Amino acid sequence: MLRAAACLTLLAINAVPAVAQESTTVGGYGEIHYTNPRGRNTPAEVNLRRFVVYLAHTFNDRVAFRSELELEDAKVEGGSPGGEVALEQAFLDYRVADAITVRTGLVLPPVGIINETHEPPAFNGVDRPAFDHDVIPTTWREIGVGVVGRLPVADGWNYRLYLVNGLRADGFSGADGIRGGRQEGREASFANPSLTGRLEWVRPAGGLRVGGSFWYGGTTAGDTLLGTGSFAAPIALLSADVRYDRGALAVRAVVATVSVSDAASINALYGSTVGRRIGGGYLEGAYEILRHVRAFVRHERYDTQIEVPTGTPRDRGFARRITTLGLSYKPTWNTVFKGDYTVLRTAAGTGQGETLRLGVGYQF
Amino acid sequence: MTQGPPPAKVAASIRRIFGPGAETSAVAVGADTVLRVARGDSLLGFAAVGNVIGKDQPITFLVAIDPSDRLKDVDILVYREPYGGEVAYDAWRRQFRGKSATDSLRVGREIRTISGATISVHAVTLGVKRVLADLTRWRQSGAIR
Repeated sequence: MLRAAACLTLLAINAVPAVAQESTTVGGYGEIHYTNPRGRNTPAEVNLRRFVVYLAHTFNDRVAFRSELELEDAKVEGGSPGGEVALEQAFLDYRVADAITVRTGLVLPPVGIINETHEPPAFNGVDRPAFDHDVIPTTWREIGVGVVGRLPVADGWNYRLYLVNGLRADGFSGADGIRGGRQEGREASFANPSLTGRLEWVRPAGGLRVGGSFWYGGTTAGDTLLGTGSFAAPIALLSADVRYDRGALAVRAVVATVSVSDAASINALYGSTVGRRIGGGYLEGAYEILRHVRAFVRHERYDTQIEVPTGTPRDRGFARRITTLGLSYKPTWNTVFKGDYTVLRTAAGTGQGETLRLGVGYQF
Repeated sequence: MTQGPPPAKVAASIRRIFGPGAETSAVAVGADTVLRVARGDSLLGFAAVGNVIGKDQPITFLVAIDPSDRLKDVDILVYREPYGGEVAYDAWRRQFRGKSATDSLRVGREIRTISGATISVHAVTLGVKRVLADLTRWRQSGAIR
């Protein structure tokens, strides 16, 4: 009888609906912005900031491809500045075991919150936090190979660990830190392989996600004047982040510190002013005041020249404090209308400003 | 070529939800298949398997109801993304237990969100609602009994 029941069970179960084995998914996200800096002679601007096509293909249970092709600022024209067409991600995943997937290609260093989760409905504010531009250089992507997966130790643990190409010190700057050093998959120098990774924990019942990330690697791009060896002129980045959701309340915070130990030689060689230490963070709280309407406030504090090497002038205009107040209306979870007001202050009192922004965003 | 959920996973899920010795028979309802679960002459409930697209990969789940059409449990049978997958945890799934098709199931209200896993949370919640509504409708029409 028992065997008959088991047999019946198997027969019955084979009849349940199936999923196509090989399948292609098309998706996308985008955002359109209206930006109006306060003051005279600062006219407003409208911009189709991002239009991204997401294309993925599942070959079988083990192998899948994912990509994002991005058009920034609506148009790219030869000979005129602005606009960008770029691949933001393009990688092949090979699942070796439940806990181990090998990922190869153009990947996102898993640093902070925004770099991996940058679809406009997923963050508050029309623009991404400025911290996620000047300190963590989103959208940061480099080519390499790594392993990602769930740690089998206990529920809620995820990890990623990648070996990717290094940053280029000749792109570093005082204002934008390491941002200009990204190679973004375009004929990138592999003179300085770098390691980047992340460990995160999610509370199994939901509501809390905590992560820690790092990047370590040389930056010479083969320029022997800056040093020889794979890890010459290294940068070390450490970051931690938290996301907390409870009922109508959503809180997130990120901190990061970047050390550029050979900033003195980098600045001497390339005539730049990169800080020896870059860092800061932000704290953001949002509350659903009406159904689908969230009010939020974010305070960012960071400095791209916390320390400078001897001989490099320190610009206190790079020590920034930014407060953003805004509203988001999300008629569906994946579409958003946004408006916010940003106040930028600096320790030097230079480069300050206030800006009104409006925007729409979507993902599907 | 197609792939269903591994039969062993469905069997294990049914066993976990309805206890050992539960016998399953397949009932076709149009193009869909419902698993009728009984022990001897007593009806224990029904179960159906559904798929929803997460970010790009389908998430395969099972919804089980009891004879009074209340949701008994949800199981995530296959989560195909290499990481994430927090929707499979019991601590999150248990929020669906005891719900019926007329109950409201809204993310951020009755169903807690999982920070950083918005897509999976919305997808699975929508999928569960849909399968629960189907099962309830078929029960009321007498298509499954």
